[in-house]
Amino acid sequence: MSEEAIRVEGVSYAYGDVKAVDDISFSVAQGEVLGFLGPNGAGKSTTIKLLTGQMRPQTGDIAILGMNVAKDRDAIQGRIGVCFEEKNLYLNLSAKENLRFFARLFGIRDFDPTPLLQRVGLADRADDRVKGYSKGMQQRLMVARCLLNNPDILFLDEPTDGLDPVSSQAIRRVIEEEAARGAAILLTTHDMDEADKLSDRVAFINDGTIAALDTPENLKLAHGQRSVRVRTRANGEIRERVVPLDASDTGDQLKAVVGAEGLLTIHTEEATLEAVFITLTGRGLQE
Amino acid sequence: MVGVHALHLLRKDLGVGPRSPIFLYAIALPVILTLLIRVVFGSLFDPAPRLGIVDEGDSQIVRNARDIDGVQVKFPESAAILKQMVENNDLDAGLVLPSGFDGALQAGQMPNVQFFFGGQSLASNRVVLGVTMIDLIREVAGSPAPIEVETVTVGDGESVPLVSRLLPLIVLMAVLIAGALTPATSLVEEKEKRTLTALLVTPTRLGDVLLGKGALGFILAMATGTVTLALNGALGTNTAALLLVLVLATLMAAEVGLMLGSFAKDTKALYTIWKSGAIVLLAPVIFFIWPNLPQWIAKVFPTYYFLSPLFDIAIHGAGLADVWVELAIGFAICAVFLLGVAALGRRMEATLAAA
Repeated sequence: MSEEAIRVEGVSYAYGDVKAVDDISFSVAQGEVLGFLGPNGAGKSTTIKLLTGQMRPQTGDIAILGMNVAKDRDAIQGRIGVCFEEKNLYLNLSAKENLRFFARLFGIRDFDPTPLLQRVGLADRADDRVKGYSKGMQQRLMVARCLLNNPDILFLDEPTDGLDPVSSQAIRRVIEEEAARGAAILLTTHDMDEADKLSDRVAFINDGTIAALDTPENLKLAHGQRSVRVRTRANGEIRERVVPLDASDTGDQLKAVVGAEGLLTIHTEEATLEAVFITLTGRGLQE
Repeated sequence: MVGVHALHLLRKDLGVGPRSPIFLYAIALPVILTLLIRVVFGSLFDPAPRLGIVDEGDSQIVRNARDIDGVQVKFPESAAILKQMVENNDLDAGLVLPSGFDGALQAGQMPNVQFFFGGQSLASNRVVLGVTMIDLIREVAGSPAPIEVETVTVGDGESVPLVSRLLPLIVLMAVLIAGALTPATSLVEEKEKRTLTALLVTPTRLGDVLLGKGALGFILAMATGTVTLALNGALGTNTAALLLVLVLATLMAAEVGLMLGSFAKDTKALYTIWKSGAIVLLAPVIFFIWPNLPQWIAKVFPTYYFLSPLFDIAIHGAGLADVWVELAIGFAICAVFLLGVAALGRRMEATLAAA
């Protein structure tokens, strides 16, 4: 990770009196995956629209690949790939026709869609109309479409939302491959586990502001609570107890629990990003 | 480059077109409408009476027959072929003139002729051909007609047959469905299915999209408009002038389509607007169908400015010099509509981004 692919400084945007994005600043380096986490209405989609040139910021500056998003929209859009949450493919076209059409819009001549379709596991259905595809297949084609110009930056909006495990896994693999290739990736997701595994850093966005931005590990260490969950049986009754690992008397508590009769199970529990998010914002991601 | 992206969009839309019901409807409608009107009012399937003549001598009747208006005359090689053609309904009637027929006629004799009528020929054609034949023979015999016919026109002598007065309606329907409704539907579908958003995060601009959709409407409307004029036998009068009028008509229709497509948020809204607002576009045809209505009212509606030149050229045989004022006003309206397309396009882009 070296050069900055995305730099956002003091950007705000309001719909009338409602502030959707309020003075946010962050950057994403090439080859970095930034997880953008927040509940519905937090400002994630507005941020992506601002970054991809669909809307102009009312205040602040956005630099994409060193270019101003308001002035160099054409050049920027030729070097980014956007995968939307909503499926927006041409259903009456085949996968091949969809990809060929968009390739022409990027000025790519003699485009061969087969390698890309193989990569997302759709080569055997390449000539079928997309209207016959399952949700997962359509989403994989959406991902393939956003890769066809070998983008320097990928904007992925809930790419695995509601998908079957096979499709989700295929998309996660592509994200890892693209990051390894050097593409900067802005990933919005509700799936905390996915964000934890895929993201180099995560940003928590809430009410249009960034509540926290760091690596998942640092966030969990700084704001999460590690614990041990112990189950015991006493007088025929199963009891469960959680012992925090960071308390001053953790050792004594653990000794007492482990020494007691009827010990059934003992599990360490790490802090989750969701718990950290709730700690920081006072609300859950699904709200 | 605006043109290149618009071209890619046009190519895609033309490729997808045959899979779209509205596209097929736009192509089929003018043909169906023309055929329907022609079946109801006649003429398309009613060719002029067909007369065959075999001359076994050198009759003046043959030479005179060549100059008859409104009757198709053919000259088979033999009486046998003639008879066969009549039997096959390739001719409505056949006349065999024996050698020396003119001389016998002029000598006051009553020479025999064979006159065949086809069993499948229309009664009206038999009457027309029978009278025509008697007239031709009388002319060669040099005998005056036993009666003098005075033609008296009853009703409006300047009136145009109803079938001709329906021409603006057919052309307007063809041009509006193909030129306006097709691009409007296509644009609204792009919005509904969010593919427009996908297009606008590529190097494609909204101007490309509007140009591509407008070109789709223009090309389709020019094709259906030309076919409609040809089917109605209107293209032969002043082809270049009619095609120029058609350019104006399709341009205006495409702009209307782009405005509708930009304004309507979804297909349901589009068809609601279309059903309630189409009267503004269709109204002028009423004044062509019923010419006794105050004609100045028609001039309030924008489509009048291509329908009137079209009617004058196709039906009255006018030239561009006769209709240039209407054409100029029509192109001025198109310029104003272009501003409307730009304004509504910007509004649509802002609405999409905020959605």
